[in-house]
Amino acid sequence: MSSEPALMSLTAVAKAIADKRVSSREATQSCLARIVRWQPHLNAFMAIEAEEALKAADAADTALAKGDRRGPLHGVPLAHKDMYYEAGKVVTCGSRIRGDFVATTTSTALQRLKNAGTIRLGSLQMAEFAYGPTGHNSHYGSVHNPFALDHITGGSSSGSGAAVAARLTFAALGSDTGGSIRMPAHFCGVTGLKTTVGRISRAGAMPLSQSLDTVGPLARTAEDCAVLLTLMAGADPEDPTAVSGPVPDYAAATTQSIKGLTIGVPTSFYVDDLDADVAGALEATIAAFKREGANIVAVELPDQRQLSAAAQLVLAVEAAAFHKRWLIERAQDYGAQVLMRLQNGLAIPAVNYLEAMRWRGVALAAHLAAVKGVDAVIAPVSPVPAPTIAESDVGNSPDAEAVIQRLTRFTRPINYLGLPSLSIPSAFTRSGLPVGMQLIGRSFDEATLLRIGAAFQRATDFHERVPQLP
Amino acid sequence: MTRPTAKEVKAIADVAGVPVDNEAAARIANSIGPAFDGFAAIAGTLQFDLEPSTFVVVQTSKAAR
Repeated sequence: MSSEPALMSLTAVAKAIADKRVSSREATQSCLARIVRWQPHLNAFMAIEAEEALKAADAADTALAKGDRRGPLHGVPLAHKDMYYEAGKVVTCGSRIRGDFVATTTSTALQRLKNAGTIRLGSLQMAEFAYGPTGHNSHYGSVHNPFALDHITGGSSSGSGAAVAARLTFAALGSDTGGSIRMPAHFCGVTGLKTTVGRISRAGAMPLSQSLDTVGPLARTAEDCAVLLTLMAGADPEDPTAVSGPVPDYAAATTQSIKGLTIGVPTSFYVDDLDADVAGALEATIAAFKREGANIVAVELPDQRQLSAAAQLVLAVEAAAFHKRWLIERAQDYGAQVLMRLQNGLAIPAVNYLEAMRWRGVALAAHLAAVKGVDAVIAPVSPVPAPTIAESDVGNSPDAEAVIQRLTRFTRPINYLGLPSLSIPSAFTRSGLPVGMQLIGRSFDEATLLRIGAAFQRATDFHERVPQLP
Repeated sequence: MTRPTAKEVKAIADVAGVPVDNEAAARIANSIGPAFDGFAAIAGTLQFDLEPSTFVVVQTSKAAR
């Protein structure tokens, strides 16, 4: 066991607490001590609730001593992206507009983690209204990458990526509408799961796009993501778009070998114009899958640029509709880039939006036909490792949207298709920046992605690398 | 489906009830133009009988899983 409980995985610390080898107080104190050291460098937390966290940890320890174990994550301290409503707590959504918004309900995903015994460390930074892929926030400042402080974390789950990477929390909820879990996972060297649309209830999670939004975890390992998914997935009367039916035991899937599975490698788009380090990471990851017994095949996917364009039309319109009242009444309270992107949706006619929505099923059917016989597709999350905060600070310049679209070009098509995708740490560049690869699955087949991710993590140690303070 | 001009963007935004100035209209036209270009090959080609809920039907079909 590590002398610093915060360095353990979620699964390991939960077991250590259950076995009374580590107390919830020790685990919480360990995270809080790291938060004190790292927060001035990272700006990962929106709010730190040390006193309340320690009080909750003591209560968890007392309950456990009496034989009252609340659930599989009893006494495990976590922090989440500041867009998950928790009754009585301020939920800023990374914005000035909601700077003093106090939630009156608790999101289903958060409540299910609380029911499993987790306790709250505070809340995590994010892009304003989850509408930005870099980690910049003009109201609360940029979040810094733990592996290179002058580089971006990616967004919009910027604080989640940074805090999990720096071992300030054992895991964190993020959300993914156009890449907002996978981008920070890739840039920060952690594991991030974008779930199938409908897999986890979105009730009580700040909306950005009702068609594309998904809830999911960022954690240190695929196994940790599996544990969290099992706890959060399933039907919810508060959100009828969450599918019913039994929830698989995702953690059990992570123990299986990948021998005999078939992994597809796209012949174009996802392999075009890659940074040399990203291209090298892709090749090395494919080689690792081969060594683990997977079959590797080439797959020719339909035109991903069309999917990306459709995703942009849908997202722009739905986001603008959510924000319309504030666009009229409080436009001056938005950051310049977010305001610009929200205004984009105003200019898209309803017929174009509805065509983009109507094509979604057709496009998904075409994708499924293209990947017939393939268990998962591997692709980079982004063509580049993390750029610097300065070079990606494009604000509302005329080129801003083009820069954003380039960064997210490998993630948006997957949101449009509503498919699950797991980002796993796959390499480090020569300058020490993490590189992630995404495994793209079939609808509701997160289990296979987690199985492949876990097998890769048993064979490599990229997910175990801990950033050091300068 | 052709990308809207700045003048058209201004008119559509006005109708939407959120007027924008000329500079913002030009910026919006520049930002969303590529999405219009990218979707142009699909727009106007979709079959009549796709509803209801084609996406959900495909997503939950055996082939999808």
